[in-house]
Amino acid sequence: MRVLANVIGYLLVGSAILAVGLWVDNYYYFQLLTFIGINTLLAVGLNMLMGYAGQISLGHAAFYGLGAYTTGILGVHLGWPPLVTLPCALLVSGLVAWLVGRPTLKLHGYYLGMGTLGVGMIVHVLFREWSSLTGGPSGLPGIPTLSLGPLEIPGGRPYMFVVWGVVLVSFAMCQRLVHSRVGRALRAIHFSEQAAAAVGVDTARAKLQVFVFAGVLAGLAGFLYAHMVTFVSPSSFGFLVSVRIVAMVVIGGMASIWGSLFGASLLTMLPEWLHVFSEYEVLVYGLILVVVMIFFPQGLTRGMLDLYERARRGKTGSGS
Amino acid sequence: MQEFLQYLFSGVTNGAIYAVIALGFSTLYSATDLINFAQGEFVMLGALVLVTLWSQAHLPLWAAFPLTVLLVAAFGMVFERVAIRTVRKPSPILLVLITVGASIFLRGVAMLIWGKDAYSVPAFSKTQAIEIGGAYLLPQSLWILGIVVLLVVGLNLFYHRTLTGKAMQACAINKRAASLLGVGTQKIALLAWGLSAGLGAVAGVIIAPITMSSYDMGTMLGLKGFCAAMLGGLGNFWGAVVGGVLLGILEAMGVGYASSSLRDAIAFFLLLLILYARPTGILGKASTQRF
Amino acid sequence: MNAQEEEKPAPVLELDRVSKSFGGVRAAQEVSFSVASGHIHALIGPNGAGKTTLFNLITGIYPADDGSVLFEGRDVGRLEVYERVAAGIARTFQNVELFTGMSVLENVMVGLHVRTRCGFFGALAKWPWVRREEEQARGTALDWLKFVGLEKMAESQAGDLPFGWQRLVEIARALASRPRLLLLDEPAAGLNARETRDLGVLLRQIRTRGVTLLLVEHDMSLTMEISDRIVVLDQGRKIAEGTPREIQADEKVLAAYLGQGE
Ligand SMILES: Nc1ncnc2c1ncn2[C@@H]1O[C@H](COP(=O)(O)OP(=O)(O)O)[C@@H](O)[C@H]1O
Ligand SMILES: [Mg+2]
Repeated sequence: MRVLANVIGYLLVGSAILAVGLWVDNYYYFQLLTFIGINTLLAVGLNMLMGYAGQISLGHAAFYGLGAYTTGILGVHLGWPPLVTLPCALLVSGLVAWLVGRPTLKLHGYYLGMGTLGVGMIVHVLFREWSSLTGGPSGLPGIPTLSLGPLEIPGGRPYMFVVWGVVLVSFAMCQRLVHSRVGRALRAIHFSEQAAAAVGVDTARAKLQVFVFAGVLAGLAGFLYAHMVTFVSPSSFGFLVSVRIVAMVVIGGMASIWGSLFGASLLTMLPEWLHVFSEYEVLVYGLILVVVMIFFPQGLTRGMLDLYERARRGKTGSGS
Repeated sequence: MQEFLQYLFSGVTNGAIYAVIALGFSTLYSATDLINFAQGEFVMLGALVLVTLWSQAHLPLWAAFPLTVLLVAAFGMVFERVAIRTVRKPSPILLVLITVGASIFLRGVAMLIWGKDAYSVPAFSKTQAIEIGGAYLLPQSLWILGIVVLLVVGLNLFYHRTLTGKAMQACAINKRAASLLGVGTQKIALLAWGLSAGLGAVAGVIIAPITMSSYDMGTMLGLKGFCAAMLGGLGNFWGAVVGGVLLGILEAMGVGYASSSLRDAIAFFLLLLILYARPTGILGKASTQRF
Repeated sequence: MNAQEEEKPAPVLELDRVSKSFGGVRAAQEVSFSVASGHIHALIGPNGAGKTTLFNLITGIYPADDGSVLFEGRDVGRLEVYERVAAGIARTFQNVELFTGMSVLENVMVGLHVRTRCGFFGALAKWPWVRREEEQARGTALDWLKFVGLEKMAESQAGDLPFGWQRLVEIARALASRPRLLLLDEPAAGLNARETRDLGVLLRQIRTRGVTLLLVEHDMSLTMEISDRIVVLDQGRKIAEGTPREIQADEKVLAAYLGQGE
């Protein structure tokens, strides 16, 4: 049942992307879909940490930024090709996640929120102030477009295919994790860290592993972002971006991999639909976050399903 | 020496403001075990409401000050009713997300109302700056210090001398004990939110004359206030003052002698340092779940 | 001393003057006793006597202030909670701590955590041996569910089960880690008379599988019936130890329980 639903999910998403790629010829849509893909990557990584393992992070944009800046700095200053910067980007975000995660993940609840927020802020200050490397507040332009060896992958249609290929592979990876010994341990930690430890789970290690995993996925998203936009600046990796990723996870539903896709799509397209509100985009995020957390703590998709179920049951109940 | 004194004055002044914000965190935490990630937004509201009352409604500052605090406190209570009590199964992760969402929402609303401009109001008194050893101490700094001391003394009296205050403290330790004292925990939560929001507003009001106030000033101030609260021990009122002043001085010295770009980094390094140094959660409370 | 020890089976667990206080509350004061291999050992005492605290000290949830905990002759005081599970100590909780959002089967499979190997990369790669291990784990977990009589509930959400069954799942989960010492914190609390009787049978079966049992229990008829030896705690102190018959005749024990009524 579960397997079937997943296969259908992959087929649907895959064919939707293919269909757009084949029948649409509009750079704007390709770009929008590429951003949705990048955001999905961010959301699904954070969902592993937050939705499955129950560890909040308000600084996820830091790892996104580390991936993007590593790509940018190595590409611009040293002229390294993407095939070399990719492992570097993943390594840097993963390594920083590992270093930072060890002390930070000992925190719980509000303190974990504050700790991850602080980490995000420090990394952000670093992007802004280390001008010789990062170009400072005005950013780092001139990042080359993606190429894999002799194969050039310009923005638009080909790039969209690459990004969504990566998204689907990462989905498969996350799904394997969730339904493995490791995933069970993570879910156990979500319920109660001490109970999980008392059953034999090395909780510190499991949390650190998933933190690094989420960090590496964010670094990958950063790499893809840097080559897409060919420009990085600190404002793309600040606190509000971290909150936006959190909002994607929350809206899609914690501990729901497909939900992350929904949340990322919604929050990426929302500003496009609400063009007039572009100034007040963040206001809408804030409101969504509050409302969803109060009324649909299970996420919007699950919440809607529940509402529908209740309505239907109510109807049949009164009808019989 | 003159330089040093100048940095010291500005550090202590800023530190006192962090201390007031820290008091807001502490009052809420000690009554409800909750940390409000939107606390900084109450500070922003305090400053901007004061600006409006003074410049649009033409109220004198001495009248606008208490009115602002009351308005923001009332808003804090409304917030508790609307967004906190309605949560069916409160957990830290949910409340973090709600208050983070609220902080962003309030920021957006403030941008709608006040735009992206920065405002200022005149100092509380028009006396000249006082010269001490070649450095200048603003009269507003004295006002700020005086208000901080008054607040802490007042809070301590309230918590130790009045029944409501005692009940609020009992509530933090044991919900049943609090209800035995005849004060409902719901009422206490409401009161704590009002008090905490009001303290945030006080910080906003006293900072308004010495800085430019704008819709996005709250986040950073909130974080620094939290850092001060952690440094001094969350829930400890004099600790908040010590923590705030310590942070303010470190920041001022770092900016003065090293680089102004260090300003925010210092607070975050301190915050992480203190969080890491007590990984079990400050006061050892957060993680000892009982079986 | 030595002569006495030689005629008994070797101890699985030895507590030596273990102490723990919380602020002013002295929850355990120099408690010493040992649990012989293959025995069912009971720990009784009025509420707040420090029984659960002692379990938390043995399993490492709290560090002891003083004294030592020896498991099979080895000092486990420095080991992390999960390392003690790997060493062979498993437990259940007074307030049932199942992972409520997961299925009954998955709960028991988490219990197999220390007996399986698949790590992060293994899970991502899903090598053939990982698949095999997962299949075996599933089978073993089902066996344990069968052992406690709940194999039919394998796919239900753990949180949806009636309380008595949740206790059984917790026991299955603990057994899945293949412990040599099993600590049960009030396993009969909240069970009806019939369930309690079945529990007694189950505990004996567990013992025949070579697991030594240490249980905290308030149900005196169950305790007296199945225990080989009983330790009585009051206000953090051991006030008596002996066979069920000796304990029933002990005046200090009677006084401690009567004192509770005041
Ligand atoms: N984590 C803790 N923090 C503070 N006090 C505790 C803690 N755990 C237990 N206690 C205290 O230790 C004493 C013994 O409790 P406990 O071991 O639970 O007793 P029992 O299981 O015998 O009923 C009680 O007074 C209890 O309040
Ligand atoms: Mg107990």
